[in-house]
Amino acid sequence: MKWYFFLLSSITSAVKGEKILRGNGYKANVFRDTSMNPYGCGYVIKAFGNKENMAALLKNGGVRVNEIREAN
Amino acid sequence: MIYFDNAATSWPKPEGVRKAVYESFLYYGANPGRSGHSLAMETAEKVYECREKAADLFGLSALENLVFTKNCTEGLNAVLMSIGRNGGHFIISDFEHNSVLRPLFELKNRGIISFSVAETFEDDPEKTVRSFKKLLQKDTKMIAATGASNVFGTKLPYKMLAKLAHEHGALFLLDSAQIAGTEKIDMEEEDIDFLCAPGHKGLLGPMGTGILAANRPELLEPLIYGGTGSYSLLPKQPDELPEMMESGTLNVPGICGLSAGIDKIIAEGEEKIGKAEANLAKYIWRELDKMQNITLFSKEPNYSTHAPVISFCIGDFSGEETAALLAEKEIAARGGFHCSALAHIKAGTEKRGTCRLSVGRSNSFDEAKKLLEDIYSFAKK
Repeated sequence: MKWYFFLLSSITSAVKGEKILRGNGYKANVFRDTSMNPYGCGYVIKAFGNKENMAALLKNGGVRVNEIREAN
Repeated sequence: MIYFDNAATSWPKPEGVRKAVYESFLYYGANPGRSGHSLAMETAEKVYECREKAADLFGLSALENLVFTKNCTEGLNAVLMSIGRNGGHFIISDFEHNSVLRPLFELKNRGIISFSVAETFEDDPEKTVRSFKKLLQKDTKMIAATGASNVFGTKLPYKMLAKLAHEHGALFLLDSAQIAGTEKIDMEEEDIDFLCAPGHKGLLGPMGTGILAANRPELLEPLIYGGTGSYSLLPKQPDELPEMMESGTLNVPGICGLSAGIDKIIAEGEEKIGKAEANLAKYIWRELDKMQNITLFSKEPNYSTHAPVISFCIGDFSGEETAALLAEKEIAARGGFHCSALAHIKAGTEKRGTCRLSVGRSNSFDEAKKLLEDIYSFAKK
């Protein structure tokens, strides 16, 4: 398991995504970095866990994720 | 002041609402969705919390499809202008507020849409539905109806109208201005495509708040365009809800207050609040019915059939004059036409208007007694 950045395009998606991941036991927090996230709002969820599982949770929750990057 | 003008806006607001608005200036003072600092993020969380509560309250599964507006009118305009932009036929009831009538009238005047007004029948919901059914056309896009008349309190069979609309491939819009917060509404279960509500009436929030909830979000178009905090370098309005519909800075103090208002509704229960209001309104109506020199224009406000609204006049006075008499006694009521020409034309009160008493959750039996004493003092002259 690793840390990942989920790049989003709205603050509502970011807060919703963070809640979904935390609600499922993942460590997750939202921050804003417009240089990392070119998809609009600059909000990014940093989360630790299995990428596919977390992405599936976000998708099922209706959170539009523009890109997932592995954190170094 | 004894306040019986709750159909215009509820007052006084619960203590929790007043406290939440005050605290918003202390703890949630940054612009949500615009920055990454802690104050902005905490404010964004607070806005999200209210959005989540409001979505839950109305049975909306995807909270991002709940848009904050400045009032119910703005939401209704957004829906009607979106659905009507490419033409089609609309059906509304003869109780609709100007916030539904005027956008459609404007679209019709521009030569874009047509619309019909369905006659409603106060004690016969099936007949009301048949009346709407007769007006359906091949190109009918939407049935829009109020949950209850803001002038006479009459509740419309909106669930049956939603069903009728969908059976004919049309959409259904509910104007819940007079029932939100006093009646359980489940958009999913009741198959409501769009719901608009003021935040400042039955939901007990501050003025300047409202919501638009969409089960068909893909059909919406922004009413205003501008900054959303997203895709800032692109000239095109982002298509993601709720931001697409919320250009400009949100009314965060209002939303914080609305959140506390919804908490109050959840704690007390919509039906409990609604039934208590109806019981007090029924008592007032029955006492007025016994008085000489009083004309009642609305029927007995039972919870299942009416919102707690009473329209009446004293003697030969107009609605405005009757309200002015009550104002002399420090009683707040609304006289005139209540932004609802259709309802007054239907009732034949379009010249005289009516004086409207609207009961809220804060009204007491003692206030009702004082109101009745004052009305009696004018009526016996």
